[in-house]
Amino acid sequence: MSAPLLDVRDLVVRYGTVTAVDGVSFSLAAGETLALNGPSGCGKSSTALAVLQLRRPTSGEVLFEGVELTSLTERELRPLRPRMQPVFQDPYGSLSPRHRIRDAVAEPLKVQGRWDPADGPARVAELLDRVGLDPAYGDRHPHELSGGQCQRAGIARALASEPRLLVLDEPVSSLDPSVRAGVLNLLADLQDDLGLGYLFICHDRAVVRHFADRVVEMREGRVGVTSG
Amino acid sequence: MKVRTRRLADAATLTRLLCLIAVLAAVGLLPWLSGRDPALAVLRARSAEQDPTEEALDSVRRDLGLDAGPLSLLGGWASDLLHGDLGTSWVSGTEVLPSVVSGIQVSLALMGASLGVALLLACALVAPVLVRGRASAGAWAAMLAAVPEFLLATVALLAFGVWLGWLPTSGWAGPENMVLPAVALAVPGGGLLGRLVADALPAVLDERWVELWRGAGVSRARIAGAALRRVLPPLVPQFGMVAVGLTGGAVAVETVFAVPGIGRTALGAAKSQDLPLLQGSVLALLALGLVTGALAALARRRLLGPALRDASLSLPPARPVRAHPAIPLSLFTVLAVTIGWGLLRDPYAVNTMDRLAAPSWAHPLGTDGLGRDVLARLGHGAASTVGTAAAVCLLSLLIALALGFLPRIAEGAADIANALPPVIVGILVAAAAGPGTGGAALAVALISWPALSAHAAALVQEVRASAFLTAQRAIGASPFWILTRHVLPSVAAPVARHALLRLPGIALALASLGFLGLGAQPPAPEWGLLLDESRAYVERAPWAALAPAVALALLAGLAVSGAALTQGRRVRRRVTPAPVKKEAPVGV
Repeated sequence: MSAPLLDVRDLVVRYGTVTAVDGVSFSLAAGETLALNGPSGCGKSSTALAVLQLRRPTSGEVLFEGVELTSLTERELRPLRPRMQPVFQDPYGSLSPRHRIRDAVAEPLKVQGRWDPADGPARVAELLDRVGLDPAYGDRHPHELSGGQCQRAGIARALASEPRLLVLDEPVSSLDPSVRAGVLNLLADLQDDLGLGYLFICHDRAVVRHFADRVVEMREGRVGVTSG
Repeated sequence: MKVRTRRLADAATLTRLLCLIAVLAAVGLLPWLSGRDPALAVLRARSAEQDPTEEALDSVRRDLGLDAGPLSLLGGWASDLLHGDLGTSWVSGTEVLPSVVSGIQVSLALMGASLGVALLLACALVAPVLVRGRASAGAWAAMLAAVPEFLLATVALLAFGVWLGWLPTSGWAGPENMVLPAVALAVPGGGLLGRLVADALPAVLDERWVELWRGAGVSRARIAGAALRRVLPPLVPQFGMVAVGLTGGAVAVETVFAVPGIGRTALGAAKSQDLPLLQGSVLALLALGLVTGALAALARRRLLGPALRDASLSLPPARPVRAHPAIPLSLFTVLAVTIGWGLLRDPYAVNTMDRLAAPSWAHPLGTDGLGRDVLARLGHGAASTVGTAAAVCLLSLLIALALGFLPRIAEGAADIANALPPVIVGILVAAAAGPGTGGAALAVALISWPALSAHAAALVQEVRASAFLTAQRAIGASPFWILTRHVLPSVAAPVARHALLRLPGIALALASLGFLGLGAQPPAPEWGLLLDESRAYVERAPWAALAPAVALALLAGLAVSGAALTQGRRVRRRVTPAPVKKEAPVGV
């Protein structure tokens, strides 16, 4: 294995006096799925936010594509952010309720200065098609879609940033069991096609076993067993 | 969490203190703020025959300490104040303290009487709810609460003092002098108290324990008593607002009925630029408001008892009065048609042949003391009043949006702004900048933002906590992008709608300042001013007073029914669950 896509060393996250993540280390290669598994409250989601630098860790190192992120300022971090994208648990909560799906998917392109008025709409339609959504859904608002459709739109939005790493924080936990498989299959296809690294956070052992290449067990903020 | 709450409370206390000091400093610095040369006014007042030579003016300035800078002026004033010295009146040259004390005594008697009347009125409004268990009193109470004191006072004076002749119309000779002012002062406060309790009671009467007590055979009177006991503590802070309203209302009511109280003293001092007397009486009014507010807080602690002091006892959501959309709509139509008709006519055309003419085809609402068409003045007055009110709305919307992002600072400042009635701020601004439309607008804007900023703060908090903002940061969006594309749009639209609804209320506040001579100046056709001008010849031409009075009452109705309409809608929206649909089959 070459240099890892993501290398996390001794990550610590404290909220006041509570230590949510207590010295977690793991690494992840491109094209690989690493699952963080454990009961609720064990620090999985805190780890995810700290890896993404959306909540700065108390101490420890996060190396992404060889760059140490924790020492960067918010401004220095901003151009790197598109390369690692989150997909959150609540499909409705992660899209602005005021914007149409099309605008939500186009927003990363606009923010990152890659929007071209001529080709942009076609790129958005292509992304929606890529995640299995009829581009006609682009006219709708999030509350006019089902949970599964919304989660697909969220994934399309993440892909718009052309990431190398997706941090999937319980991406299927709030979905109907009947649509979970569809979203998981989509994620697997994307990984095969694009060579994405997945940090997959999930409390459901059966899903983890089916989906992940390696599993890191977390308990009370610490890493237990790593199996692969 | 507890530490954080305490730190927030500390920040609010600090800003509260800072704002209070700022208000006191503004009062203390009035002579300096007013900018115009008070020495001239003082010289005129002291000896009419003395020429205003530079030497004479200088000696007056030295006498009054006006030659010193603002800081030493403030310091001197504050240290005199601590020694119980309020200075000497610039106009009469007598000590200020005795005038303030005698004014306070009169005003306290008046306010005490009106508080009694307000409580009686509130009981009368609440009784049907307790007896029948239905919210029937709310609409009436809301209407009463919205009618401004100066309008009530004028109408009461006309009806009972002039036409019926039952009660004296002015002065302060005996108890019969107290009846009309006390009632006029009490009705808005009593209406507000009654409305708060009447709105909250039905939900409380639906609580489980009421059913249980009824089943156990407890008498209806005891249940009613317990329900009241349950309703009152969370509402007590609002009662503090009633007390504040009384201090503001006292200015208008005392002026209308020529009662020698502290409010009338303050207004008179502001008009004659007698700043030391103004400082003393405004301080007394502020102290009255703050002390009653503190007493209300104390009463709340006593009512709650030690166990519930920290864990608050919240009421079930009140069931506000629902207004049928037709009510505000028809009020609006009547006002709009009248105003539109009036706008087509000339409000300044003086025709002395037609003075005080009765309504006719030529003058549908009659003419005033100079033979000017009342309808035209009403229409043009509305245009200027509503225009100013819209500007004030916009200003308070901007203040609210800015402060919505700084809830800690806003909270303390809002407490102080809530403790200041518009009339008193209007007096202060008029004393500093001279009476005028701009000053009145500034005064109303300074205190009309707290409700809007609380709304904005709640929305900002809600948006900031949502996951989609985190997702914005993840795509590398700058704080500016997030603020302008996501936070502001979600906050500004609802707060702007809220601000629009407060427009009639703001117009009423402006009209009350106009009525007291603190706002628009003659010959401007401002509604409050129209009512004030027509008072002089009301026995000969009642219609000249009736037209602005009815228009103001319609505006009050619009304020209430419009607000009730959105309140209902807001509750309904919160209850509606987010639509949850089944996953539609999607080809992968």
